[in-house]
Formats: sequence, C-alpha cells, structure tokens
Amino acid sequence: MSAVASTAAERLGLRDGVIREVRSGELVIDAGAADLPALADAAVAKLGARLLSIFATDERAAHGRFTVQHVWWLPELRTLLRASAGVDPAEPSFPSIATRHPSANWFEREVMDLFGLSPQGHPNPGRVALHDDWPEGVFALRKDFADDTTVGRVAGDLHPFRPVSGEGVFQMPVGPVHAGVIEPGHFRFGVAGEPVLYLQMRLFYVHKGTEKRFERLPWRHGLFLAESISGDTAVGHALAYAHAIERLASIEVPPRARSLRVILLELERLYNHVADIGALATDVAFTVPASQAQSLREGLVRLHQRLFGTRLLRGTVALGGVKTDLADAGRRALQAHLTSLEPEFDHLITSLIDAGTFTDRVDATGVLTHQAARDLGIVGVAARASHVDGDLRRDLPHDAYEGLQFDVPLEDGGDVRARLMVRAREVEQSFRILRQVLDTLPATALCASMPADLPAASSALGWVEAWRGPVLHYVATDERGRLTRVKINDPSFLNWPGVIQAVPGNIVPDFPVINKSFNLSYSGNDR
Amino acid sequence: MFSILVKSLTTGIVTEMAPFDRPVPFGFPVIDFTRCTMCDACAKACPSGAIQSTAPVAGRRTLALSYGACIQCRECVSACPEQAVSAGTQGEVAAYTRGQLQQSASFDVDPASGACTLRHVEAQPAPSLEEAAARLRARIQGRLGRSLHVRQVDAGSCNGCELEIAAMSNPVYDLERFGIHMVASPRHADVLLVTGPVTRNMEVALRRTYEAAPDPRIVVAVGACGCSGGIFGEGTYAALGGVDRIVPVDVYVPGCPPSPSALLNGLLVAMGKRAARTGAPPPAAAATSTPRT
Repeated sequence: MSAVASTAAERLGLRDGVIREVRSGELVIDAGAADLPALADAAVAKLGARLLSIFATDERAAHGRFTVQHVWWLPELRTLLRASAGVDPAEPSFPSIATRHPSANWFEREVMDLFGLSPQGHPNPGRVALHDDWPEGVFALRKDFADDTTVGRVAGDLHPFRPVSGEGVFQMPVGPVHAGVIEPGHFRFGVAGEPVLYLQMRLFYVHKGTEKRFERLPWRHGLFLAESISGDTAVGHALAYAHAIERLASIEVPPRARSLRVILLELERLYNHVADIGALATDVAFTVPASQAQSLREGLVRLHQRLFGTRLLRGTVALGGVKTDLADAGRRALQAHLTSLEPEFDHLITSLIDAGTFTDRVDATGVLTHQAARDLGIVGVAARASHVDGDLRRDLPHDAYEGLQFDVPLEDGGDVRARLMVRAREVEQSFRILRQVLDTLPATALCASMPADLPAASSALGWVEAWRGPVLHYVATDERGRLTRVKINDPSFLNWPGVIQAVPGNIVPDFPVINKSFNLSYSGNDR
Repeated sequence: MFSILVKSLTTGIVTEMAPFDRPVPFGFPVIDFTRCTMCDACAKACPSGAIQSTAPVAGRRTLALSYGACIQCRECVSACPEQAVSAGTQGEVAAYTRGQLQQSASFDVDPASGACTLRHVEAQPAPSLEEAAARLRARIQGRLGRSLHVRQVDAGSCNGCELEIAAMSNPVYDLERFGIHMVASPRHADVLLVTGPVTRNMEVALRRTYEAAPDPRIVVAVGACGCSGGIFGEGTYAALGGVDRIVPVDVYVPGCPPSPSALLNGLLVAMGKRAARTGAPPPAAAATSTPRT
C-alpha cells in the first residue's frame, strides 16, 4: 500500500485500500457510478482537485459494461486520480456532476454523443460533439460501430441558437470558414451595435474520428497520429501518447532522451509563444513588431529543421525515447541561437508594451476573472493569466523537469495583456530551462527498446505540460494487447468555455485579438 | 516609436530572393526498385498507407509509393533491410493529378522459391506533367496573368498546414511580391487553398465555398491529408478523405505539412508560372528499366 494512496483515501474519508497507486503519479479508484458525484465533491473540497478529463469506454464484450471515468489532478498530493465506474448497458446513464463542477459540462455531453450514455441531471444536455445532421441513436465510439460506416445526414433545421432579442439587437454569424488563415468554427454573436451581449459557438467542424482511428492502427503507428492531433502541439501530443505507452509497458526512458524531450517541448513552447505574440500585434494592426515576431518564429523553425530534421518538430519523439540526437555542434548552435534571440525578444516585448496604441487595445480587453477561471476549470496559459496557479512541469514532473530551476509566471489581469505577459515571461523561463538542460546533457542511449507487444487488458495515463496547457492521454489495450481505447485531452477542450466568458462586454472588432490571446486549438478540441 | 524606426532600419531586408529548390533533411523517400526484394517491410512500417504492396495476379506483385499520402516520417527508410529506400531531400513537390504522385514497380514471383525479381518500373500515368500543365493553362486562359487571389479553406486539418500557409506571409517568404494575395472571401478568390482530410462536418461548408468562388476557381489541395486523407484515412464516419472526393482539384501539394517553399511553389504551379515536379521516375528512366520475359 502506497503512502500517497492511503493519504488520498484518508482525506477523502474512504476506507484504506480503496484507492490503489497503479503507477507513480496515477491513483485509481473503482467506484459505483452513483458514488461519482460525492467523490467529485470531496476531491475538490478536500484536495483542491482539478478536473482533467471525463471519458467512457465500451467494455461490453469483455465485461458486459460501459465505464465512465473521471480524471482528477490532485496538486497537493502531486498525483492524478482516476475514478472508474461501471455502467450497465441495460440502463445507459450516469450521474452528472456538471451543475457543481462546470468543467464537466462538455465532457459529459461528449460521452452522451459518442457512447450514448446520458448524464442524469445535466443542466444543459444538448449535443456538443455531434452536429445536427447526425441521426439519433448512432454512437460512433461504441465497439459495434465500424469506423468506416457511412452515416447519412438528417434533413432539418440548422442548429437552434439561443435567441438574443431587443431593440437594435442583432445576431452576427461568423464561420466556419473564416476571413483569416485559421481553423474552422462557428461563432454567433448577439450584438447591440458594437458591443457583444452574448457569444455562442459551435465547434467540432474538424472532428476527424481520431480516437476511433487509434483503435484501428498498430500502437507503434499511433505515435504519428498523435502528432496530427493538433499541428502546433506535435511534440506535446506525441509525448503524452509515448508516456502512456511507456508507462503501460513499464519502460524506463534513458536520461539523455528525457533531457532531449525537455528541449523539444521548450522549443515547441518558444516558437508558438513567439508566433502568438506576433499575431496579437497583427490583430491590432501594429505591423512592425508583428513582422519582427514572424521573422523570429521563422528563425526558430529553421533551427528546428537544422537540428532535428523538421520545421514543426514532427518525427522527433520515439516510443521509448527520441529519434534524433543533439550532437555537440547542434548544442552549440542552439546555445548561440538563444543568445541572439534573447535581446531580440526583449526588444519585441518592449516595443509592444511601450506603445500606447498597443496597450490601449489589450488592457482590460477580454477579461476572464479569477473566479470564472477557477469555476470553469481553465488550465494552462489562460489559467495562469487569471492567477490560477498550476503547471504539470513543476507539479507533476515528467521527463527531466524534476530538479530543473524555473518559475511558473502568474498574472492577475485575466485580460489580453495578461495572457501576452504570461507568454513573454514563459519564454524567459524557457531560455532558462534550455540553458540548464544543454549544460548537463547526460551521455546515455537515446531510446529504450520497446517490447514486441503491449501488456494485455491494461491501461495507463500519460501527461505533458505542453505550451498551451496540460495534455493528457489515456491508453487501454484489449486481451490481445491491441489498442482498444485512446482518449485524447487537449487543454483547448477545457478552455473554450473561457472564451465564451471573456468576450461579452467587448466590441466585435476586439474578438480576433481576444480569441488569439487564448489561441485554442480547434483540431485538438474536435479531434 | 523611435526605437521601432531604428529597429526597422538596422534589421534591413530579411526577405529571401528565391526561396525555392532547397534540399530538406526529411524529404520524400526514394525507392531504388532494383534493390527491392519485396519483403514488404516498408509497407508494414508505413503509418499512413503511402506504400502499398499488392498481388494483382498470380505470379506478379507490385509495390507502389504515393507521395500524396506520405507524411515524411522515414519509418520506411529505417525498416528496409536492403537499404533500397532512402530519405530523399526533395520537399517541394506538386502535381496535377493524384496519380502523378505515385510511383510503382512490378515484380515476378518465382513459384518455387517465392523470390521476387523486378519486372519493370511503371511509367508515370497519363496525362503527363506537360500535358496536364497545358490543360490547366487552357482552363485559366491567361486570366490569372500576374496576380492570384487566394482563399484558404481548412476543411479538417490538424492546423499544421495552416501554420505553414500563414508562414508564407512572413517577411522571409513575403508571398505578396509574387502577386499572390490572401483574401477574406471566396467571392474574391481565384484559388481555393484547401487542407484536409475533408471532414463530414466541413463537407457542406467546402462545397458552398467552392460554389461561391468565381470561375475558373482553381483548387489546390494541400498536405498529405488534403491530397489523400493522410493518416486519417478515407471514408471513415468522420473523415471523408482527400479534397478531390468533394470538389475537383487542379494542383496537389503533398507533405506533412508542406513547407512554405513547397506551398509557394504549388501556387506558382497553379498560376502556370512554374513547372510541376513530382520526384517520380521520369518516363525515360521507366523506359530503360529491364523488362523480363
């Protein structure tokens, strides 16, 4: 019996032995579905738990049941807790926790859409993942649904948006095809003149059936699918998948590979943060710093290509380690690049925040209050900009983050400027992390050898603090060791409701800059 | 403001004169069919189905590689025991048909030992690149002389292609100097630059965007997923596949994702300003391969 499992059980008022520590950082409790709400309340009240995922599995063939699972992050105990409950196929429903824990809202509706298990007591049990032309009673992630099924479209009305009415009040539809080069989603603004009264959104335009696709692929190929979950987080998702597989197979990753993975993650953070800061300048038409940021970003992705082969760091993570070594020449090239980038980046930030024309647009724009961020369970950059602390690199360290010196910057404002400043300060911390890792690269093998087959009928979680926030993958195998369920959690899924909160009260022309300051992934959300 | 002016002057021009024809470390793979023993190791290692091994008739087998589906992961290179597959350095590929992105070879199977010997490398399927280029020119009829207005449509992408499409506008590539302008509406567009795989939920939006664009509405399919469905496959409940399953495609730009250079090249091919290159064996090479009787 592990100490952390006992502590967790005691704090939650449960019998000792109910909670098992299946691997380091991964507690599991088998609960009855009816007990899930009480468990959620206790975890939040007693342990400050934050919800990272709710998902279902279809185990009807092997065990005659579905399961619904909650994954909680327990920052105090430095562990995750997965609560798993069986659901009887004859009565396909489970108790909702969304009223008391709003971050469960979309998760539970997605379980309903894709598995046909209905969340009892959900305050708004409409579709979230399925569009309106999808027929009733067809559940794509159930095992008796073949992934190559052609599903007919149901004729009928378009999505019923909530009416917003009053004198001079309009509804303004935007998307899914946008004016800029961005991903598709539909936004419906209720406006009175310029100010936005209410924002509704419709996502899942780029739902590609990715989780179902994993079940068709050999687990080694799953790594490449993971790289295509969200193109800007190729390393983050590939690593979360690799962690889950390695934990499942009890593989120890060599120290040099762990350090190189930190380098890859920080490089991914750098190029995205630099590009996002430039995009904020673009969205307020401040072109000189925008161009400067875009050219710094281009310098970074070209460096990636020189060092690791690809511009967006695809094909760098291996199951068991990394694919490409960083030789001494590469190490020096990276150090030299950081040395020249640092003053350029400082100049970029100074030229933005010293310009009144810029700060006028970003100060007090798109505010997400601390309370709203807490209530909605917002994570990552967006949470830290509203002073909600938390970073898995520090709180649940993976790869070589344990022992590295770095800060987790927080801002109070919750506005566009705060999200910009969190990024700017994280870039400085990335410089600090990269220098430490580059100075102490261990000389070991690059990759552990993976077994021919994964252990049968087992499951594991893998997590990463990627640049946008925590990425969590759940991987389960069947009795022959093949992938039977992969659940992907991109931080965007938790954070989109934050955008809905931050926009009303602002004017329509500020929407692009607010949206960009969150810069959430549509593909990672929709999968 | 003064510091910004100084910065602009001291930075100078970062734009590259001709950002083309750069060898890349992770290019499209090249198969030397003369060394291939048809062990299928590459086909099994390929996560996106870009390499297919088939047995069309008894005693005959074929190996086909499609750049349209290739995600440039190089698993085939490390899997091949004969070093017949090498990592190419070509990243700027464009073609007018899906077939032009494919190269294949036929092998005879020895009935006794099962050993395979190369029969011939298939010539590029019709129409040839020159012929296809001429057809596209006829369709455009000089209407896209010196400028091109482009509307980008993400019909299901992971956003990797969008990042590189956006990078074409950065000061290093500066696509506007080629007369190429990204526009906000399909009604203003000569070209739709479409990424995929086309999802069920974007199919209608893609069709409507296509219908909204004025003739001759050239369509450029981008990325492994836009060209063929890529690693997401074709015909699943959610991902329908390549862009050409929904609307006619004029130019294919494969890659995962294609670099800004490859995308620029593809747009210039769509304007008829650059010749498409596929990296497939030219017809001459196919003719000199040794047919066996």
